[in-house]
Formats: sequence, C-alpha cells, structure tokens
Amino acid sequence: MQPNLSFEQAPPLGVPFRFFLVAPWFGVAAGLLLPWAGESAISSRWSPAVLALTHLLVLGYLLQAMTGALFQFVPVAAGGNVWRPRLVAAILQPLFLIAAALLATAFLAGSGAMLRGAAALFVAAVSLQVVVIGLALWRTPAQGATVAALRLAIGGLAATVGLGAILAEGFAGDHGWPLVTIVNIHAGWGLGGWALMLVAGVSYFVVPMFQLTPPYPHRLARALPLALLLVLGGWSAQILGMNAEWVTAIWLAGFCLAAGYAILTLWLQRHRRRRIADPTFLFFRGAMFCLLGSCISAVVMTMLTSIGDDSRCAWWLGILILPGAFVSLINGMLYKIVPFLCWLHLQRLAGIGAVAPNMREMIPERAQRRQMRLHFLSLALLLLTTFFPAAAGVAGVVFAASCAWLGWNLTGAARAYRTFRGRISAAAAGPAP
Amino acid sequence: MPAVIDGRDMVPPEPLELTLAALDTLVADEELLLLLYCQPRPLFGILESEGYVWREDLRADGTREIRIRKGKS
Repeated sequence: MQPNLSFEQAPPLGVPFRFFLVAPWFGVAAGLLLPWAGESAISSRWSPAVLALTHLLVLGYLLQAMTGALFQFVPVAAGGNVWRPRLVAAILQPLFLIAAALLATAFLAGSGAMLRGAAALFVAAVSLQVVVIGLALWRTPAQGATVAALRLAIGGLAATVGLGAILAEGFAGDHGWPLVTIVNIHAGWGLGGWALMLVAGVSYFVVPMFQLTPPYPHRLARALPLALLLVLGGWSAQILGMNAEWVTAIWLAGFCLAAGYAILTLWLQRHRRRRIADPTFLFFRGAMFCLLGSCISAVVMTMLTSIGDDSRCAWWLGILILPGAFVSLINGMLYKIVPFLCWLHLQRLAGIGAVAPNMREMIPERAQRRQMRLHFLSLALLLLTTFFPAAAGVAGVVFAASCAWLGWNLTGAARAYRTFRGRISAAAAGPAP
Repeated sequence: MPAVIDGRDMVPPEPLELTLAALDTLVADEELLLLLYCQPRPLFGILESEGYVWREDLRADGTREIRIRKGKS
C-alpha cells in the first residue's frame, strides 16, 4: 500500500521553489571556500573556514531545501494547513539567506558582533517557522510515523537554533560557558534531531512511493524517532557532567540508530517491486551507504584510539555525513520533487487534451546522471583529502561545480515550466484574430 | 472489456500521465479501469473539473480499482 497525496492544500509553486532554487548555490559557496582555506581546513574542526563551510552547507543548503520541502510536504502528505504559506515563505527565505551569509562571514572574520547578528536573525526566522509549520503539524488530523517524526524534527530544529544562539553569545562574549560541550550537543540536535529525524519521516512516505519498495515496518518506523529523541536527551545530559565512557556510549548509540535506518532503507530498496535505478534512487542509495560508512567509521574511531585521536577524524565523518548523506539525499529528492511539481501544476492548468509536457522533459535524465557522477566524484575527492590535504582545493572546486550544475538543472526545470505555461495560456486564448 | 492501466508498479506520475492520455481518446459509454495502490487525489481533481465520473473499489490486497467514464453532459 502506498500513502495518499492531497494536492487541494498545496501551496503555489513559487513557495517551495524559492527555497529549492537557492539551496545549491550555498553548496557552491561552501565548495569554493576550500581552495581559499587550503590544507588548514582538514586539520581542525575549529578552523574558521571549516566552521564557515559547515554552516553554509547546513544552514544555506540543507535548511533552505528542507524548509521548502516542508512547505510542500506538510499540506500535501501530512494534511497540515500551513498559515499563509506565500507570506511566510517570502519572509523566511531571505532571512535564512542573509543569516547564513552573515554567519559564514562572522566565522571567517572572527567577528562577535556579526555572530550575534546572525544568531538573532536565525532565532527570529526559525521561531516563525516552528510556530507556523509546528502548528500545522500539531493540528493535522493525520496520524502515523511520518507526522510523529516531522513534529519531533521541528522540535529538533528549535533546539539546534536555540543552542546555536547560546554558542554565538558564548563565543562573542566572555561567559566561561562549557562551549565545547555545547557545540557537541548543538551538532547532535542539528544532525540527529533535525536533519535525520526529518529525512526519516519523509522517507517513510517517499521511498515506498517513488522507489516502489515495500513500506517501512510500522513498529520500527514509530520507534526510530522516539529512540533518537531518547539518545539526544542522554547526549544533552552531558552538560550536567557525565562520565566520558557514558558520553562515548551515547555517541555510539546515536550512530547505531542512524546505521539501523540506513540498513533498513537499503534492504527495502533491494526488495523494490520494479528494478528502476533512476538518479533519485542512486542518490538515495549513495546517501545510505555514506550514513552507514559514517557509523562504521565512528565505531572504528572509538575502538582504535590511535585512529580516533587523529584530528582529521572529524573531517572524515563530516564529509560522510554532510555532503555524503544529507546533500546526496536532498540532491536526489530535488530531481524527483521539482520536475513532479512543475508537471503537476502544468497539468492542472492544461486539463485533459491540452498540450502538457512529459515530466522527463523538465530535467533530462542524462543531465541528472552526469551531475550525479560529478557529485560522487567530488565526494570521493573530499574523502581523499583526509589523507592528501593538498587536494582540498581541487575537491572543493569539483564539489562547487557539482552544486552549480544541480542549480542549473533546477533552474532549467523552472524555465521549462514558464515556457509550457506560456504555451498553455496561448492555446487557451485561441488563435489570434 | 474496459481499457486497463495497471499503475501499481509504476513510479508517480506515470499512472497519471497514461490515464490522462487514455482519457483523451475515451469515447462516450467506454470505461477506463485504473489499478493503483493509492488514492490518486490529483487525478480526481482533474476528473472533476473536466466532467468525468468515476467509481472506486478496494480489493482485499489493497489494490484500488478506479473505473472512469465520461459524465452525462
């Protein structure tokens, strides 16, 4: 059985698109930071360039794309009524854009004032997002694992940004707060409580539908978000003082949950009803292998302290998790969502019998596949950079090129939409007198 | 025998694309049978606005049979 979609409440096309079309360009900015930062980027997770490019990815690329997806997904798939989506998106999207750019600049310039400014913008924007999307999810009559995971993900986003604001104040001021511990908790909520929670909730819905797999087992789908929440609660308790062995055990438990989700998704993909291997499927599978790889790496780093103590471990894990798992997954989903929405809106305009384009005309599959190959090449180069830091510049440029290509392909779909919309309008108006 | 589109193993929006193409050539009193595992709400919206009528039955295996005809004008 597949879940049902309801497009009666779908927002105008411009609402999700204003987020989707901007997201890849933050990936370009992040990639181009690497040649500038050079080898120092790999040696420490605290280098300004690493902090800047990490936040360009998570707040520029991921947050934009995930927010756009929520504006579409919550009304259509979760039955939630989002309050004035056009207005809220018009406020949120530029705020996110400015705040992400300001935050990256603050890291590079070492400016406390800019850190505080970026944090204030994020707190304002995310508060609005949490209230509007959170209310829609709270009030929806829909039940099930997807809605439960989305509700928790919104809470995870609020926790991440709240902790980020505390960190901004902590770094900008001189309060003597345990900043390293807060950074670890902040990262845990961002990656586990927001990103993985959202991805899991959405994948319960889209993987069976678009990849023709069996559904996720109901009990496991229900249990994963709750288990993640439990682990994050334990992870956050380290702020109160905790034995280092407990902290490591909770850290590993979080990775094990992520590995469980990845293995289950790969198993479902293996049992799909039709052997389709389109770019979305391949991106998704690549993302799951990266997530699994990060979990195996985390276990090895814990068992073998000679490896785990190397400062480059953070870079290796970061590449597997961010560009490897989350960017791959979003890249793949954008190739499904963007042409589908273009096609659907055109079809509704055209009706039956009028000239509506085929969905495959929106972004040719050949262009998707070529960009996908470049993305995975950039990923391999970024991982190799761990052992050959001199390759950082090349890896960054290739990653930037891959993101730019994605941006170009998505813009192409928007252009195709405008062209076909013009044709449909002209056909409806009839021949000129 | 109605024309049949078995969309159960198709990736969205393939079943919708094929259905709309088939409806374009559907004559009066002819029926189109669409088989799916989900409710095609976007299709229902289009059918309603274009004056088609449909009947939906749920099989024990979860398959939805959607029988579509042209409405009486």
